Amino acid sequence: MAVDAQGRPPVRIGILSAEHVHAPTYISLLASMPGAHLVGVWDEDRRRAATAAEPVATRVFDDVDDLLERVDGVVIASANARHRRLVEIAAAAGVHVLCEKPLATTVVDARTILDACARAGVHLMTAFPTRWNPAARALESAVRSGALGTPVFLEGANTGTMPDVHAAWFVDPALSGGGAVTDHVVHLADLYRWILRSEVVEVYAVANRILQERFARVETGGLVSMRFANGVSATIDCSWSKPRSYPTWGGLSIQAIGTGGAFGIDAFRQHLGVYGTREAGISWPAWGPDADAGMLAEFLSAVREDREPAVTGTDGLRAVEIVDAAYRSIAAGAPVPLG
Amino acid sequence: MSGSHADRVLPDRALPDGALPDRAHPGRARTDLPLRIGVVGTGFMGETHVAAWAAEGIRAVIHDVDAGRAATLAERHGARVASSLDELFGAVDVVDVCTPTHLHAAVAVAAARAGRHVICEKPMARTLADAEAMLAAAREAGVRLFVAQVVRFFPEYVAARAAVLDGAIGEPGVLRLTRASFRPRQPAGHWFFDHAKSGGIILDLMVHDLDYARWIAGDVVAVHCRSASVAQPDAGVDHAVAILTHRSGAISHVSASWGYAPPTFTTAFEIAGSHGLIEQSSTTTMPVMPSLLAGAADGSPTALADTGLAGDPFRLELAEFARAIRDGTEARIGAEDGLEALRIALAADESARTGAVVRITPGAR
Repeated sequence: MAVDAQGRPPVRIGILSAEHVHAPTYISLLASMPGAHLVGVWDEDRRRAATAAEPVATRVFDDVDDLLERVDGVVIASANARHRRLVEIAAAAGVHVLCEKPLATTVVDARTILDACARAGVHLMTAFPTRWNPAARALESAVRSGALGTPVFLEGANTGTMPDVHAAWFVDPALSGGGAVTDHVVHLADLYRWILRSEVVEVYAVANRILQERFARVETGGLVSMRFANGVSATIDCSWSKPRSYPTWGGLSIQAIGTGGAFGIDAFRQHLGVYGTREAGISWPAWGPDADAGMLAEFLSAVREDREPAVTGTDGLRAVEIVDAAYRSIAAGAPVPLG
Repeated sequence: MSGSHADRVLPDRALPDGALPDRAHPGRARTDLPLRIGVVGTGFMGETHVAAWAAEGIRAVIHDVDAGRAATLAERHGARVASSLDELFGAVDVVDVCTPTHLHAAVAVAAARAGRHVICEKPMARTLADAEAMLAAAREAGVRLFVAQVVRFFPEYVAARAAVLDGAIGEPGVLRLTRASFRPRQPAGHWFFDHAKSGGIILDLMVHDLDYARWIAGDVVAVHCRSASVAQPDAGVDHAVAILTHRSGAISHVSASWGYAPPTFTTAFEIAGSHGLIEQSSTTTMPVMPSLLAGAADGSPTALADTGLAGDPFRLELAEFARAIRDGTEARIGAEDGLEALRIALAADESARTGAVVRITPGAR
């Protein structure tokens, strides 16, 4: 087991569940990061664990406690509704947690997750990798430095293909908690909170199931408007509006308006255009920096230094509260207060 | 259509598409009776319309309360000036209303009562009552009334609608429409910045995309809007985002901004449907990319969308209205559409002020 560049022993990491589409990415990155030792993968479905472990030849664990005994931290990449149980198990074992977004499918579960980690004295990080996206960081800097003046409005879109192409649970409300609103509000909501250093006080949302041929048992289209305590308004298009023919999974963009002008970002614009055979179709392979690597490095540092990560469990809870408010607003047909 | 006036201006046969009487070249073999056009108001849009009419071979008769402005513009296009509205009404068949928004209704109603067809710049009027008075006056006088929602003539918007009608993306579900520019460079006290006169950015700029959203996804039943002021301490609203719920269940995100740096004028839209997606952005579809060292900045006080060599939408629009008047046919936008776009815009303006969702009844009178 190699030490890292500073001569420190690596942080021992386990993967709890490979149900989420992001699990293979985390596994592949952790297997090659200098500060990490990927100990192995546990999944309630052993075959899924084996499939995920195979590319990097890491160990498959049949017993979750067996894995938890051997690690300092875990990455939880299960279906959304199973986050709570897995966090509770990890926290009880005294293991630090990086949990896939959204942190939970209900506000109650998110609070329970925070309480479990606090009681156990373990650090909890929510997986919001876009905070390490260079374009998002450039916008945050433009606001922090004052270049944009006083921000007044943020408009964002985090749209993508309907993720049932990756895993069926995404469109099963019992496991996902909901559709496009659950899946795609939290990244931008978190970026907005981070950029503005303010909390949401009111949410308005509308949603429908027209996109993707009305297959889904969950909403596939959604628009959310929110007002922050500092007076800034912001909107999110969270729709699963990219058809299967789209050359990539989706994207994330923000137009920020301030007294100093406007600042736009398109977080995944750095991609090639590849036009292959008819069968291969069109693809847009990304060549920009990998935000996931930055997020994982922060988790490793926080575990090693025994400190709170840059993105906390509270950040995850706040995003879940915004999603919850969006659903309440959809039901009410009117803006709802938050906080 | 009734009365001798209409009989006089309507030709006895239809013109081919795009063909209009060419007064600039009277030697050409054109047998159609020409429409005589009067333009009221010589601000930014009046100038644009006079130029578009001139490009169509029609020298408009021009009236403005500022006689000097009217004279300057008339001279540029070899047009003539009418010193009063009555004089203009007496000299033309069609009155093209390009006055400040709050004056649209007075001019349009007077023109209709004088038996003249009316083309009115968007937004149709400052209030719904004004718009309804315009409709009533046109109906009573038996004249045509058109509202110049010019986005319906921009080729990219036309192409997207054609694709939707063709079934390319199935049923529209989520629309996102953006129109971003800089604050019009007009002096303080200009009517444009007076909410009571112009209705501000929502009635003036956002109305384009509100109308387009309705053209694509149908009538709107609920409107939510948030707005912000960028140009403090000037304190007018110069950024607004509306979320529309259409009767069909479709939803639209409509953004209008004067918060960008000059000379920005960008437009973009995304129309997501039950089995497909249409994307368009003016920033990625400009066919010419000059970067010339000489003559960098243009001094235009207000940005105008550039279609990038694809043809002048103002000409297409006015030519279509003229054809519709001459032939007694429909144009792609009727006066009722202009009124519905205004109804949505007024609801957005109300929502931005009160914070509440405003429910509206399309077609209500």
